[in-house]
Amino acid sequence: MSSKAEPLAVARGVSRTYRAGGETIVAVRDAECTIDAGARIALVGASGSGKSTLLQMLGGIETPSAGEIVWPALGPRDSLRPRHVAFVFQNQNLLAPLTAAENVALPLVLQGASNAQARAAAARALAAFELAELRDKLPEELSGGQAQRIAFARAVAARPELIFADEPTGQLDSATADRFLATALALLDATGIALVVATHDERVAARMAVRWTMEHGELRTAP
Amino acid sequence: MILVWLRGILARFPARLAGAAAGIALTVALCGALRAQIAASGASMTRQAIANVGVDWQVQLNPAAGEREVRAAIARATRVDTLQPVWYADVTGFESAANGTVQTTGTGKVVGLPPSYFTAFPDEIHVSIGAQRGVLLFGQTASNLHATIGSTVVIERIGLPPARVRVDGIVAMPNADTFFQAVGLPPGTAPQAPPDNLVLLPAAQWHALFDRQRIVRPDSVREQLHVRIAHDALPADPLAAYDDVSGKAKNVEARIAGSGAIGDNLAARLLGAQADALYARVLFLFLGVPGALLAALLTFTVAASGAARRADERALLRVRGASTRQIVALGAVEAIVVAIAGTLAGTLLTIALVPNALVAHRTLLAVTACGGVLLALAAVLIPAWRDAHANTVAQSRAAIGRAGAPFWERAFIDVIVLAIAGVAFWSTASTGYQVVLAPEGVPQATVHYEAFLAPVLLWFGAALLAMRVWRLVLLRGRGLLAGLLRGISGALAALVAASLARQHRLVTRATLLAGLAFAFGVSTAVFNSTYAAQSRVDAELTNGADVTVTGTTDAPPARKLAELRALSGVAAAAPMQHRYAFVGNDLQDLYGVDPRTIGDATPMSNAFFGGGDAAAALAALTRTPDGVLVSEETVQTYQLHPGDTVILRLQHAGSHAYVPVKFRFIGVTREFPTAPHDSFLVANASYVSAQTGNGAAEVVLIRAQRPDAIGSIALEARRVARDLPGAHVTTIVETQRKIGSSLTAVDLRALTALELVFAIVFVAAATGLMLALGLAERLRMFAVLTALGAKSRQLLAFLAAEAVVVVVAGAAFGIALGFAIAQVLVKVLTGVFDPPPEALVIPWPYIGGLVAAAAASTVLAVAVTARASRASVIGALREL
Repeated sequence: MSSKAEPLAVARGVSRTYRAGGETIVAVRDAECTIDAGARIALVGASGSGKSTLLQMLGGIETPSAGEIVWPALGPRDSLRPRHVAFVFQNQNLLAPLTAAENVALPLVLQGASNAQARAAAARALAAFELAELRDKLPEELSGGQAQRIAFARAVAARPELIFADEPTGQLDSATADRFLATALALLDATGIALVVATHDERVAARMAVRWTMEHGELRTAP
Repeated sequence: MILVWLRGILARFPARLAGAAAGIALTVALCGALRAQIAASGASMTRQAIANVGVDWQVQLNPAAGEREVRAAIARATRVDTLQPVWYADVTGFESAANGTVQTTGTGKVVGLPPSYFTAFPDEIHVSIGAQRGVLLFGQTASNLHATIGSTVVIERIGLPPARVRVDGIVAMPNADTFFQAVGLPPGTAPQAPPDNLVLLPAAQWHALFDRQRIVRPDSVREQLHVRIAHDALPADPLAAYDDVSGKAKNVEARIAGSGAIGDNLAARLLGAQADALYARVLFLFLGVPGALLAALLTFTVAASGAARRADERALLRVRGASTRQIVALGAVEAIVVAIAGTLAGTLLTIALVPNALVAHRTLLAVTACGGVLLALAAVLIPAWRDAHANTVAQSRAAIGRAGAPFWERAFIDVIVLAIAGVAFWSTASTGYQVVLAPEGVPQATVHYEAFLAPVLLWFGAALLAMRVWRLVLLRGRGLLAGLLRGISGALAALVAASLARQHRLVTRATLLAGLAFAFGVSTAVFNSTYAAQSRVDAELTNGADVTVTGTTDAPPARKLAELRALSGVAAAAPMQHRYAFVGNDLQDLYGVDPRTIGDATPMSNAFFGGGDAAAALAALTRTPDGVLVSEETVQTYQLHPGDTVILRLQHAGSHAYVPVKFRFIGVTREFPTAPHDSFLVANASYVSAQTGNGAAEVVLIRAQRPDAIGSIALEARRVARDLPGAHVTTIVETQRKIGSSLTAVDLRALTALELVFAIVFVAAATGLMLALGLAERLRMFAVLTALGAKSRQLLAFLAAEAVVVVVAGAAFGIALGFAIAQVLVKVLTGVFDPPPEALVIPWPYIGGLVAAAAASTVLAVAVTARASRASVIGALREL
């Protein structure tokens, strides 16, 4: 686990530009933010405002075009995933050839855990989200909501310090979303995992302690 | 919209389009080159047949026929290069005195030839010694009469007093069989042996001696017109040429009805070439069609690798309101692009591979190009049309789910097919492996197509069985597979095995293609190596040894045995007698050898002897001084049992008469160095010498220490034997070259080179291309793995594991199947070999090359895909 005094991630003057169709797109402009251990952050903004790009940079998937991001409590960028940082994508992105249990176990296997340890951790994570009966299902046999919850279980199973989730309740109905969030937050509280959620859903945003706003690539972290 | 779509697929999926087009190009090129090879082989055989015929037609005139009318009929039927009259007279015998003894012969013939005959038909009469004109004595007759240049020979005419002639030259007649054929007999009549006793006279001298015999005994004198027709307009294909020539001959016969009959030597030779051409066609099809099918299968598989993407696109188009016709039209765009590119590339490749393709094979190019277009449409458009007619979006995007075993697996079709293949093979064996049937007297050869069944079903059944086994291993043997992959994938082995199991259809398909490519390459290479080795065996049997010195009884080369043994490069030299012996009324070649040493100079194959054991046969001959090995035909004719006494008549050196000599039958011989294909005898040289009073050995067989010494040994041997009259030296190299260009040899060199190159390309394509295309489909999976934290080496583990499974399983299956196919082909196509091989010849370097090609293309595919994945994963991650 990280030192409570050090933040998990710090971004200073971070920008991300890329070219598409002959145009230069500024996805993120001069973003500054800090993520502390155990944080509960909601990142809200319209579609195309740069939320996903910011999350991917903070998670070490993308590199900034300008500025810098450091992870004082987690180590260098190339050691972030899967040990310290996990992602839950908007489209779940379960691996089609693997069952639900094998998908959940995958980050642990990538870390070097034994098959037995990985299977046990996957079973615990699925049970925590009341998904144990789906363990042997293939992704194409799951509904969108089930796949989304299993993707979250995959993120949690390896006990990272920080999870980035992009619209984790996008395919859930209200009641299921509430139940899922309650379970997820309780689990994260118990384990001290920080959570940054990109969302349109006000009910999800309302449950987070901190609210960041993204608009045309510009990040506002102050209330 | 069509243009937009076209731009899109060209920009987004160039590799898949190129892969499908490459598959079509390979199919078109291989089919085109194969067909051109078959046509070229047939044309070559036709040319050889024509070149080996001395006299095309022998038109026998009836006694009352008008020669001028017959000549006119011939000229009207066809263009003639040359036409020569030849006169034949039967005589009761010849007589000659030599060294105080008088030799007489049995019945014989005297032939009258015009002076121009020797230049018109130079291959019919070869002068051994003496003058080219005048009174010429046939070699065997000279031997029988002990006559030579200057000898006087008495001709016993029929109904007339004997005539005396003085010998000017001694000749050989290589085509005596046809020269003295009985023209006009019904088909199916047994051929008559040419006369041993023969004198050739100038036409004027013949008429002076035999015009009166024609009056006294008209049935004993005949006239023929020997004709060579113009060959330049003959069709290239042997069958078409046969039809053309025999049609013209029948036309002449119809015109001269009652005046004569035609001995059509050219048609007979073309008929033989027809059988060989059919063999060549069968051979090329057996060896080439699997390659063409494999290329087509590769095309289908490459095209199908984008099926999921196309299905998604079609589903989205339907959701957005596209009509079925519009969806099919867009699918046709891809099909047309692939068809044009593939067919064009294939046609260009065919032109590069086939000499004069644009001139000589235009129709062929057009046909194979059309085939390429149809293949492209079948591979791309039909699936598009089929899916476009699905009723709902859900059907278009039907979940794959966990499908059960396919129907063929549940019905054990693979086992049934293999069982039928075994039955078909046994059935072919029961016919003596007669694939091409050319019964004597029947004008058309036919192919026993049922013989195709065994190897075809073996390909099919083995492929299905392999798929069953792989599916079983992937689905039920995950633990075993994970254990095997641990060395490559480390901790991910179990997940890799799980991934392979879930993708078992894709993995099985790629492994099958790799396996079939290996099988194609191995079967072709093994068959071709075995065929090439047998052509050397054929040359060894024909020539007798690496270097052979052949002479006469009067001047035997064995006189120079010590000098020949001492030549540089000689490993061993052995003398061999070549005599003639009467078995009943049948004159056979008799070979006298020292069974203890004959094997030093020439290989004694087990296949030469009836018991299949050369050492045992030669040991029996050693133990039995009066032993004799005879042919199976002789055994059947005379109902011989081992130990039976066989009385042969051999010529005694003292009396020159054929005297009875007792031998003991000890075994069967099928082949022997320098021996003819039909009946012959092998005995102890010491016994033959003692019984005939003649210890001369007419042949010396020489084995070289190294193949490159053969030429120099032959050169020196010619120098050593130069003072031996009638002696000549031949080498196995010269003989092999002659056999390779002979009528009955199917030239596999060009086909071999073509197929072996294609096989390497197929193996590389099946392994590398399939892996690259298949893995490119899973770019999104790699993006997810990267996002989850997978390192480059872990991604490589996934790629490498699948590659290893495909290549190793494919190679193991393919090499085993290749050997099996080669063995079946060698058995089924036994008629192509002369003699049939005892065992397969394995070209290990080529098989090693195939494996290396597969490994190299796999490593390249994995490296390229890994690199492309790393470069593209970021873009893919943005879409997660």
